[in-house]
Amino acid sequence: MKTTMEHTISVHATSQGNGPAAFVRRVLKNRHFLYVVSIAGLLIIWHFFAVSSKDSKYMPTPFMVLNELWRIAHENLAGKNLWGHLWSSLHRVLIGFAIGSIVGVPLGLFMALNRYVNALVKPVFDLIKPMPPISWISLAILWFGIGEESKVFIIAIGALVPALINSYNGIRLVDPALYDAIRMLGANRWQTLVEVTFPAGFPALFAGLQISLSVAWSCVLAAELVSARSGMGFLIILGMTMSKPAMILSGMVVIAVTAYLITAVLSKVEKWVCPWKVELMQ
Amino acid sequence: MESETKLKDPFSLKITPWVSFISFFVVWQLLIDTEIVPRILLASPVEVGKLFIDKLTNPDPDGAVLMTHTMISLLEALLGYVLALVIGIPLGLLMGWFTVAEGLARPLFEMIRPIPPVAWIPLAIFWFGIGLTGKVFIIWACGVVPCVINAYTGVRMTNPTLIQMARTYGASDWQIFINICVPSALPMVFGGLQIALALAWSTLVAAELIAANEGLGYLITMGRRLLRPDMIVLGMVMVGLTGWVIGNIIDRIERRLTAGLERGGAAT
Repeated sequence: MKTTMEHTISVHATSQGNGPAAFVRRVLKNRHFLYVVSIAGLLIIWHFFAVSSKDSKYMPTPFMVLNELWRIAHENLAGKNLWGHLWSSLHRVLIGFAIGSIVGVPLGLFMALNRYVNALVKPVFDLIKPMPPISWISLAILWFGIGEESKVFIIAIGALVPALINSYNGIRLVDPALYDAIRMLGANRWQTLVEVTFPAGFPALFAGLQISLSVAWSCVLAAELVSARSGMGFLIILGMTMSKPAMILSGMVVIAVTAYLITAVLSKVEKWVCPWKVELMQ
Repeated sequence: MESETKLKDPFSLKITPWVSFISFFVVWQLLIDTEIVPRILLASPVEVGKLFIDKLTNPDPDGAVLMTHTMISLLEALLGYVLALVIGIPLGLLMGWFTVAEGLARPLFEMIRPIPPVAWIPLAIFWFGIGLTGKVFIIWACGVVPCVINAYTGVRMTNPTLIQMARTYGASDWQIFINICVPSALPMVFGGLQIALALAWSTLVAAELIAANEGLGYLITMGRRLLRPDMIVLGMVMVGLTGWVIGNIIDRIERRLTAGLERGGAAT
């Protein structure tokens, strides 16, 4: 068995030779071939498992999931089709994320820049931090009812924590040598902030926002699972109450793809807004 | 003067955190006592404290004493967590070193990875019901992802010089894997354990909020249904406290297990 790391080193040793053994070795070394085998294997096993299981209503076949995906994309469920529900979730995420980061980032910056602000805010923040955002849902429902506000509140709390922690740490962990250098060049307080503190802390801050957004996406689902009348979380819990596993699974597919796209887009944006990140890492 | 303040924090800075901490509770208490915030919406810290003492022995109105709720949540979380470790870490380690393991497991893993853990809840309840099995499955599904990622990354970050050296001395693939890759991946693996734990705990609470008849999340839900804000806050405090305690325990274990490793790492 060849290893991934040794791949480049020993490629000459293994690709030599003929015969079935060498062929098998070459095939097993081909990663793309293995990927195809793996996915095909999953689908085939899944299909036959679903077909052969006695109670087919517990396990849909892959085709049934695709069919269901097509159906919910066109039919209305509780007044909206798939895209409507997806938009309601995203809409909540955007509002909650905006509130969480607008509060969290400046607070984190001030905490990092001023010891008194830090001493004042940190004890309270440390009390709130270990509680999972979703555990606020009951209070949120008592306070705001089961409408949009309670979901947005949960998302804002979930997004606030990573935004604050990362902007705080990002500023605190700036290389002191950079400060020494700019002070030696005669910069005043404001110039130090603009030229060193913010650019050097920004990559960590942005990483915090990325985490915030993915936390926000899972918070909105959790909140919608508990109580909602629209959104992706509502869609999969509806699938559960209607005993339609195909609907749950197709909802999960859409959720996963959305989460994937959010991450992919943000890492593109990251390269665009802070191209100096790599230099700092080295 | 400036250097003096840097060496020794001024008295006002030392006292500020305590002022903040205490005034948080005082303001909270006053808001309730003066009825600025109605009692129906929030309980005062004193009420929560009273309920805490009461719930230690009194199973009403939600059917179990506080310890039972906490133990049930802990049991569910730990079972799922241990299963995630037992499957995720070896899988991640193997994926990091052997092409066949990576080629076969990676696509499946990449499919599961973007699914937020809470999205498993409806499926798990549908398949396994609201009992222990469903919860364990949810925790497993959310804990396994960080375990695999970190174990995989840890192996991939092994110093190539060490591997080449071992190869020169005639070590087999398997020997290199066990003696070099696995130990050097340990710090990353522990990082994964911490992430998995935080994720497992908050997902479990979500699962219990949605469907359960015992556990801390259930306590919170019952508080809402019975319009008892003191029960809600008590549940939240217990969730936060328990999560914090487990996190600290993992931290301790990590420090003990990797103490020698870090020293070794610093020497190279």
